[in-house]
Amino acid sequence: MSKLQLAKRALPSKEGTLFKDVLTLYETRQLKKGLKTADQILKKFPEHGETMCMKGLILVHMGRREEGMDLVKKGVRLDLTSHICWHVFGLIQKGEKNYEEALKSYMQALRFDKENMNILRDAASLQSQLRLYDGLVETRHTLARCRPVLRANWIALSVAYHLNGNLEEAKKVLEHYEDSLKNVPDYDVEHSETTMYHVKVLEDIGDYAEALAFLDVNSKSRVIVDKTGVMETRARLLSKLKSDEAEHAWRVLIDHNPDCTDYYNGYLTSQNISSDDAALLVLKEISSQIPRANAPRRLALAYSSGDQFRELAKEYLTSALVKGVPSLFADIKSLYENQARLESIQSILEQLLAEHTPASSSPTEPTTYLWILYFQAQHFSHLSQYDKALEVLERAITHTPTLPELYTCKGRVLKRAGDPYGAARALEEARRLDGQDRFLNTKCAKYHLRAGLINEAYHFFGLFTKKDAASPSADLEDMQSLLYLIEDADAQRRLGKLNLALKKYAVINKVFDEIEDDQYDFHGYSMRKFTVNIYLNLLTWEDNLRSHPVYVKAALSASQIFVALHDDPSIVKRFTSSEPLTSAEKKAQKKAKKAAHKKEEDKKPAAPTSTNEDKGLEIPNADDDPDGLKLLGCSDPLERAAKFLHPLTTLASKNIDVWIAVYDVAIRRKKYLQAVRALAHARELDADYPELHVRLAHLRKTVTSLPQVPPAPIGEVFTSTVSALLPDEVTLETFNSQYLQRHSSSPLAIFAAARVLKTLDGPLEEVDNTIFSTLGPDVKLTLKSARTMLDYLVQLGSLRVEEYRTSCDQRFPLATVFKTAEEQASLMKETVEMPIASPKDEVEI
Amino acid sequence: MNIRVARIDDTMGMQACNLQNLPENYTMKYYLYHLLTWPTLSYVAEDSNGRVVGYILAKMEEDLPEGEKPHGHVTSISVLRSYRRLGIAKKLMVQSQEAMAAMYKADYVSLHVRKSNRAALGLYRDTLGFTVKDIEKKYYADGEDAYAMHLSLAS
Repeated sequence: MSKLQLAKRALPSKEGTLFKDVLTLYETRQLKKGLKTADQILKKFPEHGETMCMKGLILVHMGRREEGMDLVKKGVRLDLTSHICWHVFGLIQKGEKNYEEALKSYMQALRFDKENMNILRDAASLQSQLRLYDGLVETRHTLARCRPVLRANWIALSVAYHLNGNLEEAKKVLEHYEDSLKNVPDYDVEHSETTMYHVKVLEDIGDYAEALAFLDVNSKSRVIVDKTGVMETRARLLSKLKSDEAEHAWRVLIDHNPDCTDYYNGYLTSQNISSDDAALLVLKEISSQIPRANAPRRLALAYSSGDQFRELAKEYLTSALVKGVPSLFADIKSLYENQARLESIQSILEQLLAEHTPASSSPTEPTTYLWILYFQAQHFSHLSQYDKALEVLERAITHTPTLPELYTCKGRVLKRAGDPYGAARALEEARRLDGQDRFLNTKCAKYHLRAGLINEAYHFFGLFTKKDAASPSADLEDMQSLLYLIEDADAQRRLGKLNLALKKYAVINKVFDEIEDDQYDFHGYSMRKFTVNIYLNLLTWEDNLRSHPVYVKAALSASQIFVALHDDPSIVKRFTSSEPLTSAEKKAQKKAKKAAHKKEEDKKPAAPTSTNEDKGLEIPNADDDPDGLKLLGCSDPLERAAKFLHPLTTLASKNIDVWIAVYDVAIRRKKYLQAVRALAHARELDADYPELHVRLAHLRKTVTSLPQVPPAPIGEVFTSTVSALLPDEVTLETFNSQYLQRHSSSPLAIFAAARVLKTLDGPLEEVDNTIFSTLGPDVKLTLKSARTMLDYLVQLGSLRVEEYRTSCDQRFPLATVFKTAEEQASLMKETVEMPIASPKDEVEI
Repeated sequence: MNIRVARIDDTMGMQACNLQNLPENYTMKYYLYHLLTWPTLSYVAEDSNGRVVGYILAKMEEDLPEGEKPHGHVTSISVLRSYRRLGIAKKLMVQSQEAMAAMYKADYVSLHVRKSNRAALGLYRDTLGFTVKDIEKKYYADGEDAYAMHLSLAS
């Protein structure tokens, strides 16, 4: 360092003391005083970088973020070799969740103060967060070397090695650490946890015998206090060693917790059971020893067949129906995959009905009859026999009109039969029977969202959300309710409110960002608490976080909207029209503004307090786009879609819709190699997938209209991939008609062929006819695909829409989704205006 | 239906179950904090598809005054309405209690319940053997009082 730089940094004793004061004042968050003191120094030494940085840091804490940030940057530039300046810069970047940049700043800081504990600890957390394990090992090494007395530093070092894939070093560090321990108190939970971690390291290395020996020694000496953990690990290791003792170990676990099905599976596997009969014998033996355990009795059903199955199933069903177990059908359902078992259960059901119908010879609990009917309704619904299901439910409701389950079941049946309005009404009836039950409330609200009755849904949600929240939506968003967010987003989308749909999909993304960020504090915390095994579980889970079905759905739906916006920018204009709002719209807008304003108000302090208030370093959550209109009109829809989809290419790579979505975005971004690779992935998953067929045609059209082949290095790979997907010599017309021929009974394949025909400028009549073929006798037309077909005909401006609509309406008599717009509007009205029960039924919590 | 120790992978399911059933809700970090501090105390019940249908979120009480014995605390317990009559709540509670006693030498378990929640009161008092220790005024966010209940684990 040059003399000049040293000279600039060093302060005379008076200012030097003041600077120390600034640091202390900052640490104790006396921000006003700290600011004043910093200004005192700067008056005399206006270019003192370190003071400037501290002042900037304090300003950010006081909420003057931009000002503070500028000052910090200035300060860093003035003193590039000061660890304080880089540390401050890193702190602020960390607060903004800009972890990559923060780590760079911290690494700079460490260059000038290699053994600064604070900086090292923060760097370790950042490296863990960013999964930079090489660096983490180094940092943890330094920390352990500098403060070997702190036990957590050694554990953290071992974990760092483990994460970096160096299990042998991880083990060595643990052994060294254990040797150094003195006076470990009895029943010490921390020591127990580290010992269990040591066992895991040995297991991960593959030394099962050593792991088991180590486990046993420490369990006998009462070092490990996690009894369940010991038993589970024992059984698992013994099974891995294929030891004779494994059987007993699993049996001990079953006795400890007879309701854990994993233990039974372990037990059966450990005995090398090769036949269903042998398994059945084992399960029967356990059942006789633990008669109250449900698991072995249920497992037995999966291993039995024929008369034996009938006997066991009848006993299992009867006892559950007499008890009145609502989840019985859900429990049994998986057995229906086997036709023989399905028929057995059907006949048992009929038998039971005969035995338990009131006014029959054997006197019985009236409730058993009720639960049999409830089961039977679900049985018929599962087999898509919706009218039979509804008939059974009506009988049950006549018998016992006050059981909410009957109405939730009715709602589900109507939903599956295509009547969302009837379904919503049924759920409202269920909800009214127990106003204190949030479960029924949530379902009722969800069904109203499905029926497009958004405001009604919000009203229901509002009965249980916090009264001081800005709105029911705001509370559910704050509490990260993914169920609510995805249902609301999808409902808005169905209603064409693309701005609000996009907004909610974006909120879902934000929730996942929050959850990803949650792990940050635990990188340090878990080391201090020594709970290593669960910490490792945390990291793996976070790595796979966005494989969650709600994230996948949100990403796919949002990217579809973004693509549509790119293809037709005029969509945005519809939402920002200058047409006068209706009075209802004005009211809704006012309400939304008020809610957004209230939310902002709640975030501000109640009264202007002294500026000592510490706002922290995190960026406040200001929502500047409550209606999602900015998002809708964004200038980079494709880039946003790509970002949203990106994690799915690794975390949901078996989901063919992901690759279709990736193609749609990539091809429009002119990322040709990425696009064709996506289709290649899709093809591997299902070469006949209808959406893939449509994209292949799209690809051919795009390629033929390209002014030139993409340049090297991608040109060759691109061309060969294209040819592999769709051979050059095959015309699109042939390709399409061959596809149609091959899949003439699949409505979605027909739909795909029709769309391709349209892009080939086929006459409207021919496209129509293709769609209409889905009504033919050989086509397995489902309700869902029928709706898709109808929507497409409307979009096309076909002259035969009415014809298709009435045809579907007749084909699906219980459905209301094929009624005319007027009929549906009146059904919605009927649902909203359901006779209000007396006020006492509405219990507001 | 499977009852086992809760893992981090279960936290989303626990949160979803909680939001469906109860008005007292928590952000994900709070669930993570429980599991990462007391990894053996929380349990879940899952259906055959791996969906969380019931859970118990538990901890050991921290910041104990000098000399007071360690005790466990149930932060939240809930089972989906559609999975009643299977004794799930009791099974979850029993597993958690045993872990509190074995691992942390807990002397008793405590929890809070709304004064007006007759169903829960019945579960804790009659099925699980809790007794009312105290009334905590305005314990809940909406101002309702809570019963503070205890269950002794000393055997």
